[in-house]
Amino acid sequence: MLAVRASAARSASRLTRNFATVVDAAGVKVAAVDNGEPTSSVTFLFKAGSRFENKPGVAHALQNFAYKSTTKRSALATVREAELYGGVLSSSLSREYLALTAEFLRGDEPYFVDVLSSFVTDAKFTRHELQEYVAPVCAAESTVAASNPATRALELAHAIAFRNGLGASIFASEHSHVDVETIKAYASSVFGKSNLAVIGTGISQDALTKLLEKSLGSLSANAAPPSSPTSYFGGETRVDAHSGPQTVFIGFGTTGAPSAELAVLAAHLSPQPSVKWSEGLSPIAASIPKGASVQAIYLPYSDASLFGLLVQGATAEEVKIAGKAAVSALKEVGNIKAEDVKKAVAKAKFSAASTLDGRSSLASVLGSKLLSGPSASVEGIISSIEKVDASALSSAVSSLIKAKPTYVTVGDIKSLPYADELGL
Amino acid sequence: MFGPLGLSLAPVIKANRGIYRWIKPFANWYVNVAGYRKLGLKYDDLLVEERDDVQRALGRLTDREAYDRSFRFKRASQASVMHIDLPKDQWTKPAEDVRYLQPHVESVAKEDNERRVWDTMAVERKK
Repeated sequence: MLAVRASAARSASRLTRNFATVVDAAGVKVAAVDNGEPTSSVTFLFKAGSRFENKPGVAHALQNFAYKSTTKRSALATVREAELYGGVLSSSLSREYLALTAEFLRGDEPYFVDVLSSFVTDAKFTRHELQEYVAPVCAAESTVAASNPATRALELAHAIAFRNGLGASIFASEHSHVDVETIKAYASSVFGKSNLAVIGTGISQDALTKLLEKSLGSLSANAAPPSSPTSYFGGETRVDAHSGPQTVFIGFGTTGAPSAELAVLAAHLSPQPSVKWSEGLSPIAASIPKGASVQAIYLPYSDASLFGLLVQGATAEEVKIAGKAAVSALKEVGNIKAEDVKKAVAKAKFSAASTLDGRSSLASVLGSKLLSGPSASVEGIISSIEKVDASALSSAVSSLIKAKPTYVTVGDIKSLPYADELGL
Repeated sequence: MFGPLGLSLAPVIKANRGIYRWIKPFANWYVNVAGYRKLGLKYDDLLVEERDDVQRALGRLTDREAYDRSFRFKRASQASVMHIDLPKDQWTKPAEDVRYLQPHVESVAKEDNERRVWDTMAVERKK
């Protein structure tokens, strides 16, 4: 049994040994693996997240501008041709990365790599496309995000915890107007060879490299846009909201490279059970009232992490009880038993390993490793989680709690608790 | 022929220097007799706008252009109600009479045409 469980790290290393990292002649970092899947995917990962934007909302607008008109083909032609080939084009934005992904059947890679490259090298960014297609989509996404209290709480938490840089919201503000010139300037500053990692699955390294050399020849050799190192501040804010559950986010931040201890802490506290309909073994699970829920949230970035507990409930009373239980469980981690540490380490190892399973999460994990430098390795994640023990965990938690908490409430601010009422 | 800009021999004439030299004076005389410049209008203000493609093209004007267009219409409507021409300093100068809407109408027509081609395309299985 133990031998089987110990091979998770070995599987991860086997998976990553299949990925040969190559810096091809054009200066772009490329990693590709072919496990014989029927479909292939190519992801262009840029360090162009909301952290690097020079005006608020530009990164969101650039993400939604993906696959619109280029000098080669119009937006309609891109969509129709991709449909005729049978492929999926998508773009996603996180705080640090912008990912352009094409999933397609084997054999169609020349067309889809060309679609991705032509957006990156010569997109038109016309004013009417911004007005007719991009701006309404941005506004709709921002409205949906603002009406979801959990998303709103997390965006506010980042803003309070990290202020500029990582604190910038992923979503454009609902009524902001970014113009094409700003988007064009931002795109030309972030679309550069040294800022790009290309990850392919279901495609061979040579085929992908050859296609990229042909199509990315005209891409400028920009480096990553400048970003000041993150510092953690913390604070408290209360926001009125009338739809959705009452929400409280209790967060703590650290600076520096993400540590395995926080991943284990998130796995330990998370009330998400491994078996459905069971209560689970989290120390919080027993004390949460029926209508409330608690999620452990761990968001690692390249030079900072945000750890927190998202408490939601139908009424403010339930949220207060659940919040108190969560905070006391967090403080109790100092006296954690070795048995519980083993459980948490196993849970954290599984969730870290399963990110290497899915195509999109694999692309983002690998891409961030490729972009952060040659020394980063993927199997190191799992082995560093295995090394966490009770003393490391309790010292990490005590240093976490010592800093100023990031406390956000979204909902009925008259009745939702304040930070000191929960014991922070 | 039934597009928003209608049939036009202008590209043919402009391409041929000889014909252009003979026809240009008649063209200038025609524009003067048409009299839209005396009401402070530009040629593209006269395009038929009760068409979906021209409406889309109008949506692509910048805010400044749209405002100026509305101002010209308002001024010309007032002059028309009073049955007089505008004072001479408010007439459109030939250098100002730029076809500001024509490029947008042409790109909209091109896009509509492309959509029609894609909609009626015959797709065959690759052998």
